[in-house]
Amino acid sequence: MRASFRAGVIALASSLLLSGAALAQDAGGTLDKVLARGHLIVGTGSTNAPWHFKGADDTLQGFDVDMGHIIAKALFNDPNKVEYVNQSSDARIPNITTGKVDITCQFMTVTGARAQQVAFTIPYYREGVGLMLKAGGSYKDFAALKAAGSKVTVAVLQNVYAEAMVHAALPEAKVDQYDSQDLVYQALNSGRADAVATDQSSIAWFMTQNAGRYVDAGYGWSPQTYACAVKRGDQDWLNFVNTALHEAMTGVEFDTYAKSYKTWFGKDLPPPQIGFPVEFK
Amino acid sequence: MGYTLNFSAVWRSFDLLLGGLLLSLELAAAALALGAVIGLAVAFALAGGPAPLRRVAGAYVTLIRNLPILVLILFTYFALPQLGVRIDKIQSFVLTLAVYSGAYLAEVFRAGLLSVPRGVKEAGLAIGLTPMQIRTSLVLPLMLRNVLPSLSSTLISLFKDTSLAAAIAVPELTFEARKINVETFRVIEVWMVTSALYVVTCAVLAALMRALERRLAIPK
Amino acid sequence: MLDLSVFNDLSLFANEIWIARYALLRGLGVTLSISALAIVAGSVLGVGVALGLVYGPRVVRATIRVYVDIVRGTPVLVLVLASYYIFSTVGLDLGPFQAGVLALAVFCSSHVGEIVRGALQAIPPGQTEAAKAIGLTFGQTFSSVLWPQALRQILPTWVNTAAEMVKASTLLSVIGVAELLLRTQEIISRNFLSLHFYFLAGFLYFLINFGIERLGKYVERKTAVPS
Repeated sequence: MRASFRAGVIALASSLLLSGAALAQDAGGTLDKVLARGHLIVGTGSTNAPWHFKGADDTLQGFDVDMGHIIAKALFNDPNKVEYVNQSSDARIPNITTGKVDITCQFMTVTGARAQQVAFTIPYYREGVGLMLKAGGSYKDFAALKAAGSKVTVAVLQNVYAEAMVHAALPEAKVDQYDSQDLVYQALNSGRADAVATDQSSIAWFMTQNAGRYVDAGYGWSPQTYACAVKRGDQDWLNFVNTALHEAMTGVEFDTYAKSYKTWFGKDLPPPQIGFPVEFK
Repeated sequence: MGYTLNFSAVWRSFDLLLGGLLLSLELAAAALALGAVIGLAVAFALAGGPAPLRRVAGAYVTLIRNLPILVLILFTYFALPQLGVRIDKIQSFVLTLAVYSGAYLAEVFRAGLLSVPRGVKEAGLAIGLTPMQIRTSLVLPLMLRNVLPSLSSTLISLFKDTSLAAAIAVPELTFEARKINVETFRVIEVWMVTSALYVVTCAVLAALMRALERRLAIPK
Repeated sequence: MLDLSVFNDLSLFANEIWIARYALLRGLGVTLSISALAIVAGSVLGVGVALGLVYGPRVVRATIRVYVDIVRGTPVLVLVLASYYIFSTVGLDLGPFQAGVLALAVFCSSHVGEIVRGALQAIPPGQTEAAKAIGLTFGQTFSSVLWPQALRQILPTWVNTAAEMVKASTLLSVIGVAELLLRTQEIISRNFLSLHFYFLAGFLYFLINFGIERLGKYVERKTAVPS
């Protein structure tokens, strides 16, 4: 009696799941779905400058946000036909797999484990980790940090590899992991940590915003690739997004990409070389 | 839609979760022990202290009960060092949780004190006990028995509040769960297992407290 | 010489509050509406839960008991994530706001359920018997004998639960609901004044809950049985 009841529940649950999956397939590919809807839905955050954050006028901006505009322009010839779904870093993959967003662009590091769950687009940025110190603090530069050995505490954004990442540069340092970027900086400010290890782009932005108060320790390591991600199994949609990003970095939309790059990273990009395609050099 | 569950990533890191759970329990126990002392002192001040003391105690309870605990945690951890007070992060968290639970326990104990009949104190005086003796050997035991159910729900909510220690890098259960999330992104599975661990632990705590209640009950 | 640098800091802070005033007000509005919806829905559901626990047949009692114990034993954060994601695995797609309100209402219902159950069970059974003896139906007995007494007794604890809901609404920031805490974090990520703005948020939450507490005390005085 009890066993058959349980079997019934499982059958009911799985038929619900299957009907959900069937509905998803009936709707056709994501590209057609997005075109029919008339706007793109991009998942990103709102609390990490210069990637995705709110300006003083409360509009969402940043390099990730600009990637959304570039894809929207490729779809509708209108960079503003895009809706941003606000999501925490934790929510990046679930929001893709449960169909809450068409694509996620949220400084997502490409790893093998993640690539088994979502399909990554071509990269749009290469990041490295750097160390930031308080100006006039007890340690002047990377050499001083390294010499201090286990006396140094480094604040870092929570990550499984965070400890190993810091230890690759400072083998003896203590590592404290925080769950948001502002708390990482706060740890340095309050003296809970002697240095911050985080993305070089974030360090550069933070130092520009707080001129004179911090110094870069002058050491970079741990390269990582940033790419957008879509649901697995929709090659047509992945191809489209790849084309849009590719042409932004090498083709007709290069000026848009270069302008965004200059705004958020403060550097001018040399235009792609004319003639033989840069991809095959 | 059509999401398939896969728990293998969770089981690989299950030891991390168990270690986190153990730390959560330790944090809750330490905070409860300290908080009970604070709560008891404040309750006596509220129930029978001089007027200024009563006001201070009342302000403490009102302030703490109406603040989100996350703000208190951030204050102790980040602002106190800037004001020259430096304590280790685990101690800082236990202290915050103790001060927080102290305000709730003060209310619980105060209700308990009020529930002890006047006659008990009068009887104590009549047989020649000092006010201190009346408090420790008559009022306290009676009160503790009365407040046990509320005490057990405070313990359970303290245990759940330890999840906020994740914000200041204390590696308790939620911290470990998020850490596994960040790499494996099996967020749904990780939270299912983590919440099961929380539910089971809470159920065990509740059962233990009920057993204690039965043991201490006055036989009818 | 006096060190006045702290005052520079304060005028900077005041300026940043002014820039962010609409964002903060909108966040406050979202926090208030989420909390109000969750408290109302959770309380209605909670009374139903209590009725089932006290007067329901055995099967209903056991089912509701399981519901209440599971919900009360789960951290609210986990309930929030579950309501946002678990439903979408079965094709029912809730937005972050709806999923968040649902999670908080469910959490609220389990607490209100327990409070109301305790109050109903504390009423001497003699009263129900007396009501039956003078010919009242169960509905009449409940609405004019049991409920008014229970209401008076649950009021203080119910006010606590309402304050808890306001605090728990901070957890909806995780699924991207732009309530006060997420708004605060957005502002901090722009100007990096973390402590200042976290304390401002703390102060605003304190004001809301202090208001709820005062309101509760007022209603308590109004509804007290004159002695």
